[in-house]
Amino acid sequence: MTSINLKQLFRQYKIMALLIAIALIWAFFSWKTEGGFVTPRNLSNLLRQMSITGILACGMVLVIIAGEIDLSVGSMLGLLGGVAAVLDVTHHMPLALNLLLVLLMGLALGLFNGYLTAYMRIPSFIVGLGGMLAFRGILLGVTGGLTIAPVSSDLVYLGQGYLPPQFGIVLGIGLFALALVLSWRRRSNRQQHGLPLPPVWRDAVRVLLIGAVLLAFVRTLNTYDGIPVPVLLLLALLGLFSYLTTQTVFGRRIYSVGSNMEATRLSGVNVQAVKLWVFGIMGVMCALAGLVNTARLAAGSPSAGNMGELDAIAACFIGGTSMRGGYGTVYGALIGALVMASLDNGMSMLDVDTYWQMIVKGGILMLAVWVDVSTRASR
Amino acid sequence: MSDYLLEMQGIVKDFGGVRALDGIDIKLKAGECLGLCGENGAGKSTLMKVLSGVYPRGSWQGEILWQGQPLQSQSVRDTEAAGIIIIHQELMLVQQLSVAENIFMGHEITLAGGRMNYPAMYKRAGELMRELKMPDMNVALPVMQYGGGHQQLVEIAKALNKQAKLLILDEPSSSLTASEIAVLLDIIRDLKAKGVACVYISHKLDEVAAVCDTVAVIRDGRHIATTPMHDMNVDQIITQMVGREITAMYPDQEHDIGEVMFEARNVSCYDADNPGRKRVDDISFTLRRGEILGVAGLVGAGRTELVSALFGAYPGRCEGEVWLEGVQRKVGSGTPLKSIRMGLCMVPEDRKQHGIVPDLNVGQNITLTVLQDFSHHGRIDAEAELKTIQGEIGRLQLKTASPFLPITSLSGGNQQKAVLAKMLLARPKVLILDEPTRGVDVGAKAEIYRLMAELARQGVAIIMVSSELAEVLGVSDRVLVIGEGKLRGNFVNQDLSQETVLAAAIDQSSQYLTSQRTAQPENAAGNHQESQ
Repeated sequence: MTSINLKQLFRQYKIMALLIAIALIWAFFSWKTEGGFVTPRNLSNLLRQMSITGILACGMVLVIIAGEIDLSVGSMLGLLGGVAAVLDVTHHMPLALNLLLVLLMGLALGLFNGYLTAYMRIPSFIVGLGGMLAFRGILLGVTGGLTIAPVSSDLVYLGQGYLPPQFGIVLGIGLFALALVLSWRRRSNRQQHGLPLPPVWRDAVRVLLIGAVLLAFVRTLNTYDGIPVPVLLLLALLGLFSYLTTQTVFGRRIYSVGSNMEATRLSGVNVQAVKLWVFGIMGVMCALAGLVNTARLAAGSPSAGNMGELDAIAACFIGGTSMRGGYGTVYGALIGALVMASLDNGMSMLDVDTYWQMIVKGGILMLAVWVDVSTRASR
Repeated sequence: MSDYLLEMQGIVKDFGGVRALDGIDIKLKAGECLGLCGENGAGKSTLMKVLSGVYPRGSWQGEILWQGQPLQSQSVRDTEAAGIIIIHQELMLVQQLSVAENIFMGHEITLAGGRMNYPAMYKRAGELMRELKMPDMNVALPVMQYGGGHQQLVEIAKALNKQAKLLILDEPSSSLTASEIAVLLDIIRDLKAKGVACVYISHKLDEVAAVCDTVAVIRDGRHIATTPMHDMNVDQIITQMVGREITAMYPDQEHDIGEVMFEARNVSCYDADNPGRKRVDDISFTLRRGEILGVAGLVGAGRTELVSALFGAYPGRCEGEVWLEGVQRKVGSGTPLKSIRMGLCMVPEDRKQHGIVPDLNVGQNITLTVLQDFSHHGRIDAEAELKTIQGEIGRLQLKTASPFLPITSLSGGNQQKAVLAKMLLARPKVLILDEPTRGVDVGAKAEIYRLMAELARQGVAIIMVSSELAEVLGVSDRVLVIGEGKLRGNFVNQDLSQETVLAAAIDQSSQYLTSQRTAQPENAAGNHQESQ
């Protein structure tokens, strides 16, 4: 029993360790930039920068939990963002129709990857490698290697818009209420089934901490221009994907397939369909990320999303997702994305050379996974 | 100087409280071949692992004298240096490398700078193969181009190249054809003439009788007897191997056996890697409501292949039909999902690989098959799920502090109960249990038997594959015996002896056996019911 408690403690502690790491990174950059890093303006910027990697990481974490990998997402993001730009600039397509078309295309490309992996039994690493080249090639063909600009202001709002401050306050209060209700429901459920209850103060501290973070979040962003639209999108995805992974049959099956595919298949689960749809969801996330990216740049660029897959995969691993599949969380992946974005943002502010930025990011990834692997082996 | 090459004295080996070997004495002279016999799990392999250094000195008690001196070995490397070489049942060859490269693996003949001296190795490999009367073998070709018999000889050549004084052959003939076995036995006789000693482990007692000078029988980790072969016959060896009493572990079965509800017709399976080889050869049988059918046979006889084909989980090509309550399905087109929907469920043999999902907790493992039953528009009703889980934990007396513990924290027996619970929730009409008590402690074993009897009473038909003959005879109403992929016998379990079953499983020349020889004709399954 004690070993279990220790393990639970460690899992919670691991997330704490990540948060502490972020705090350290932030403190370091604030010190170096003489406070420039933690201004509302820069934090707002940081979160917007993070949103694209974060959207990809939401899909990627499902793929990795299912025991697969998708290397094509950077190119797919570029392709879908480019298509959105072409539809908008060249064909003047209405925004709603444009969004719908691009999302459906994302779903189709994702399902295609999934079909090749799950039914044709091509290893996902190879499918991704092929897609990485092929999608980038299609993008170059579609755009003719040129930047497609300027996109309409409707589309730009998706990437550059801000929500009015009142909305931010309402959202903050709503989320706090949700945290309260969920904590209370969890307690009463555990009580009903005679399960051990954590002490009240622990739940109270948790809820209060969530409240404090929400307050800081909303106030900081409202001090600048309000909550950026892509950040709101990322929050919504965090909620949706957390629900999907923890509360639904499909979510449970993703973990089960990734942990032991053969046992899951022998339990009468259609494991191929699970993998197919995980890749389908990944495709939709690529479409969303592509749209936000095009909107943020106000243009469709042939190099958009270059190396995006590596950022997304790194975010998942930094966030504690198991390389063998079967274990991982959506919020962990997003914290990982925040780590990556903070490094990017801070080093850019300090005018660190690009080559150093790449070396540092690579080193951090290996360090994070080493810590993860060495603590996992101890169980 | 003793005249024995090898003396093992009072070998005792424990695995965490379980005594696998309990005082075994083996003696062997140079040029002598010893047959080592025992049921599956009797301790033969453990004994050979002690001898060959897989278990280092100090992890077991007793003494091994090698050429009169205590054998001071810490690893396989040390025992190989002394001249004790073991050839495992699964051949340890790298399929893509050449015959010569395999023979010299780890002992390559090299030129300056670590380059391989291929001419020297080919020459020596060629000599070895000629010694083994295989002069036609091209030692430069990859091993995978040769069949199982030739590969076995490559292993022997590898051992000879290491100057083997004692060769241990663990089930060397399990994947060989009759003519290949004849060649192998000839070679062993040659080796004996050259002064090499052999330990020959085999279930095929006719081979043991043909090539061995003495035969040692172990049972439940104890040494039963070592006898000169000319004083023994195959039947006497079987009696020594079995000779165990069935205790009160098995429940009194008073379940009614009803009408035929399940039928397998002409099921054949082909090896996934070698499509020309049949693993299961045209097996048909029927199963009645509430009947427990034991499936006995030696390891590798095709039992697991048969039942996984019925369940739709066999990886290779298979043919035949299953009928369940009048519904027909081709064996080849089955999937586990279709089978479970049909009411045909299976608890697989390999719990770790095919049973548990290690990252899910105990409860989540239990509800894996029926998770959709707890869903409202895809959302899991956690409360209803937990209620079911707790119900199952209670019903199977699964010992866990909480359903939220990791499944890997449970003992083997309780993990097995969780896997059982998972399949029981799918409400099977026919339940296949493949080695349901392997690695399970005695207490959990008895509970699993009790559960099986209870299910049978509720009208579930059960197919149980087991390597433990005592278990097969203890719980089954009827026993199928499979040997080399074929149905070798179909016995009503009344006054059925382990000797009869084992003889059917082992005897290669035997015709298809039915109960007529020992008990009742198989077609009298109905009479059997009346007689209870």
